[in-house]
Amino acid sequence: MVLTAQETPLIRLREVSRSYQRGVDRVHALERVSLDIPAARFVAFMGPSGSGKSTLLNLVSGIDRPTSGEVWVAGQRLNDLDEDQLAQWRARHVGLIFQFFNLMPVLTALDNVALPLLLTQLDKRERARRAELALRIVGLGHRLHHYPRTLSGGEQQRVAIARALVTDPDLIVADEPTGDLDARNAEAVLALLRQLTHGFGKTIVMVTHDPRALRFVDQAFHLDKGRLLEGNDAERAHEAILLAAGGGGAAAAVLP
Amino acid sequence: MISWFGLVLANLGRNRLRTALTFGAVALAVMLVVFLLTMPAGLDALLNSIASNTRISVHNKAGIVYSMPYSYARKVRQVEGVAAAVGMTWFGGAYEEEGRVTFPNFAVEAEYVGAVYPDYGIPKEQLEDFRRYRDGAIVGRQTMRKYNWKIGDRITLKSNLWPVALDLRIVGEIPQERAPMLWLQRAYLDEALLAARGRGLEIVGIVWARVEDPERVDQVMQAIDDLFRNSEAETASETEKSFFGNFFGSLKGFVTVILVVTALVALCIVVIAANTASMAVRERHGEIAVLKAIGFSRRRIFAALLAESTLLCTSAGLTGVALAYGFAQALRSFAGWSPALGPLGSFLVTPGVALRGVLLALAVGFISGLLPAWGAARKPVAQSLHEVF
Repeated sequence: MVLTAQETPLIRLREVSRSYQRGVDRVHALERVSLDIPAARFVAFMGPSGSGKSTLLNLVSGIDRPTSGEVWVAGQRLNDLDEDQLAQWRARHVGLIFQFFNLMPVLTALDNVALPLLLTQLDKRERARRAELALRIVGLGHRLHHYPRTLSGGEQQRVAIARALVTDPDLIVADEPTGDLDARNAEAVLALLRQLTHGFGKTIVMVTHDPRALRFVDQAFHLDKGRLLEGNDAERAHEAILLAAGGGGAAAAVLP
Repeated sequence: MISWFGLVLANLGRNRLRTALTFGAVALAVMLVVFLLTMPAGLDALLNSIASNTRISVHNKAGIVYSMPYSYARKVRQVEGVAAAVGMTWFGGAYEEEGRVTFPNFAVEAEYVGAVYPDYGIPKEQLEDFRRYRDGAIVGRQTMRKYNWKIGDRITLKSNLWPVALDLRIVGEIPQERAPMLWLQRAYLDEALLAARGRGLEIVGIVWARVEDPERVDQVMQAIDDLFRNSEAETASETEKSFFGNFFGSLKGFVTVILVVTALVALCIVVIAANTASMAVRERHGEIAVLKAIGFSRRRIFAALLAESTLLCTSAGLTGVALAYGFAQALRSFAGWSPALGPLGSFLVTPGVALRGVLLALAVGFISGLLPAWGAARKPVAQSLHEVF
């Protein structure tokens, strides 16, 4: 079943749960989560460790499948796809950014960015053109032929962002993209992600602990113990993050 | 710009030392296997080059160390279908100070030997001289080269079997690169023995006969053996090829052992290559998880990883085959001037053997990469990411 973009937000989750068997125990990582995310939004999933935010990100990006409930992304019901179909779907619709960059050390920045394009029918010249453009967008036009080991952490994360961007996906998901960066680089990466949403119309869903993210995202979803917080609970979680980041002054600075 | 092949190559270049060592191990093992595989064919080629199907040996049924009455040579010559026959008796002569037999030497009937060995290409005038000079000797080229002899040289052979030492004059050469034997005149030995012990050479070791019609070889052998049935020395006839084949029989058994060892070597390189492939996959779990996450299907991951080990082993295999070819060629050229290496010159890396070497390398690469590639590819992406991050 496929829905059109007019009928539904880019991401729609309905009563989604995910549980795992760990030894003799059943771990409920996510319980009955429902949410909608429109297109061209920069969204954060926030919460303490074990709150289920990474599980939620995996479900949204088609890396994992729910135990129950429905996950719709870009008009596709992901529950219907098997492992290989999901891989194919991700290649076309999702760009991924990880905390530790995970670039291939034996490839140049340009080749790293061009990797997802190997899964397309594009010829070599077009792949090179698009990879170069993606690197220019993230400000690394002068580093095309550098290997990851010669790039700073911030630059490596930019290469990873370019890799996520290069297929022009409907959705970019980022798992703690600032987790391994210093403050200056973290802010630069967050600003870049925001620019991708507001300048290029990309929908970005990010998992983060970083309170600075609240200054950049359009919306934050707060999770705790596998549940999506709503109403007062969500506001309290929001304020707690701001206070932890630097007190009331900081809260005032970042609150919408 | 990266391509699928480029990706495979780039991954092979990730740990160059390990790749080079694996490449070297597989190349050397394939070289060894290929060279060993040339042995059975090499022995056949050697046999073909020295033995004929129409020449038969007639020897005592009890074994070649037992003699037969000299009259057998004459009788064999009279059998229908025999074009020529020559009696040959082991002289066991040692050359000068060496004191041991360093090349085979026989007393032969000078008047018949040329007719039995027309394929040896001994010049007619040399055969004439051999008949003319009672102390004449004809020597194989291999021995001529070994001792740097030339026609006209005089040598002395002291027999380890008979109580005589004979002065010989080299009157001819058997122009075959790998011919080590020396022929001297039976009549000359006969005379010397008569003088030394009062009794001439009354026996013959082997009678070599040439059969006129290749189609009738079996029939002629049967006729000869029938002729001497129930006599004081029954005979066993066999073709020259079969005669030498029995000599090589034990060597063939050795070759079988070598081939078994070769199979074990092949198995070892599978294990070594599998270990390398497994290490290469293990240290890249994170990257493989990321590739899966960005949309590389399990089939593509499996194919890319398998291609790495297959490409590495196949290219190493090609190198191994080239090395074996070079080695065999080198032996072939050395065999030309070093008699000790003579038989090794027969070992040729034929296209069939080369193909088997390459297929072995291909199989090693495929089999060794199969399990690690499957192990890395089969895991669901969520599990791969969970294990890594």
